[in-house]
Amino acid sequence: MADDSRAHEPPHPAAAEPRRTPRIVRPYVLTQGRTNAPAATFALEAQVRSLTTSASMSRTATPEARRIVDLCQTPLSVAEVAARLMVPVGVARVLVGDLAAANAVTVDVGAQDAANDVALLERLLDGIRAL
Amino acid sequence: MESALSDRLQQSGFAASARARSMPVALKIVVAGGFAVGKTTFVGAISEIDPLRTEAEMTVEGLGVDNVGAVEGKTGTTVAMDFGRVTIGPDMVLYLFGTPGQDRFWFMWDELARGSIGGVVLVDTRRLEDCFPAVDYFEALGVPFVVACNLFDGIATHHPREVREALRVPANVPVVLCDARRKSHVQETLILLVEGALRRAQSRQGR
Repeated sequence: MADDSRAHEPPHPAAAEPRRTPRIVRPYVLTQGRTNAPAATFALEAQVRSLTTSASMSRTATPEARRIVDLCQTPLSVAEVAARLMVPVGVARVLVGDLAAANAVTVDVGAQDAANDVALLERLLDGIRAL
Repeated sequence: MESALSDRLQQSGFAASARARSMPVALKIVVAGGFAVGKTTFVGAISEIDPLRTEAEMTVEGLGVDNVGAVEGKTGTTVAMDFGRVTIGPDMVLYLFGTPGQDRFWFMWDELARGSIGGVVLVDTRRLEDCFPAVDYFEALGVPFVVACNLFDGIATHHPREVREALRVPANVPVVLCDARRKSHVQETLILLVEGALRRAQSRQGR
């Protein structure tokens, strides 16, 4: 990842504190304080799929990055990534955005105009009827 | 269909590769309504996963969040919403997002409604006024929606016609009874919603 060099130099003192589980880390420590990546526009339902495995990631990759790559071996939404990592959606977006920039995952931004797509809606209707 | 998918992929800065084409198309329906009206029950009745909970932030900058868990009473912290997933086929997945219980989190509604197929407004007929903000919201936005009167304990306290009159929703908005615990009821409600969305898309296409 592009930010590997910073992974060992937390920009915020809080990050240097002992860390028992990811849950007690201030959420934006995970993103090195960044909130405004282009990733902020990912839809909640945008599908994330890994292009690599956690085993083949750099040794300096964060546990969160590895976990996302593990989770997204089959496509998963940004919302699901956030829920499974137990981080806010904004944090998940930044982490996914970093992984996408590093070509570790690919992201489909989701159906932007699904409400006007007749073929898509027909398939959805057939699918719901068949449930 | 294929063109719609490739259009969408072109819009993505990240999904330019051919490998991305194996991604399912993700669609979204918003489940709205007042506090404790049964949104998560509705989602859970048809979702293939137990509804997941995720959190979003009022503002993501300068937020003094000391814990990922929402701290009650703090101003402008996090808002939780529950969602579920329904696999429609190998190439299509539907997400059902429940709106946050508190209507003041409008920023989250915009996020949820963007790109959605439409909305389900769940109604507790004993607290009809709780659904007004959701009805107003979908009407103002012009997205298709269905009003579903949740049958608490399986009992209808009001006829859908009475609810329709009270809400003054347009004639093309279905008002139905729905036991949010029953998959078949939830399924029927979603069918009505998508049928309405399809009719609207067809009429727009014809123009």
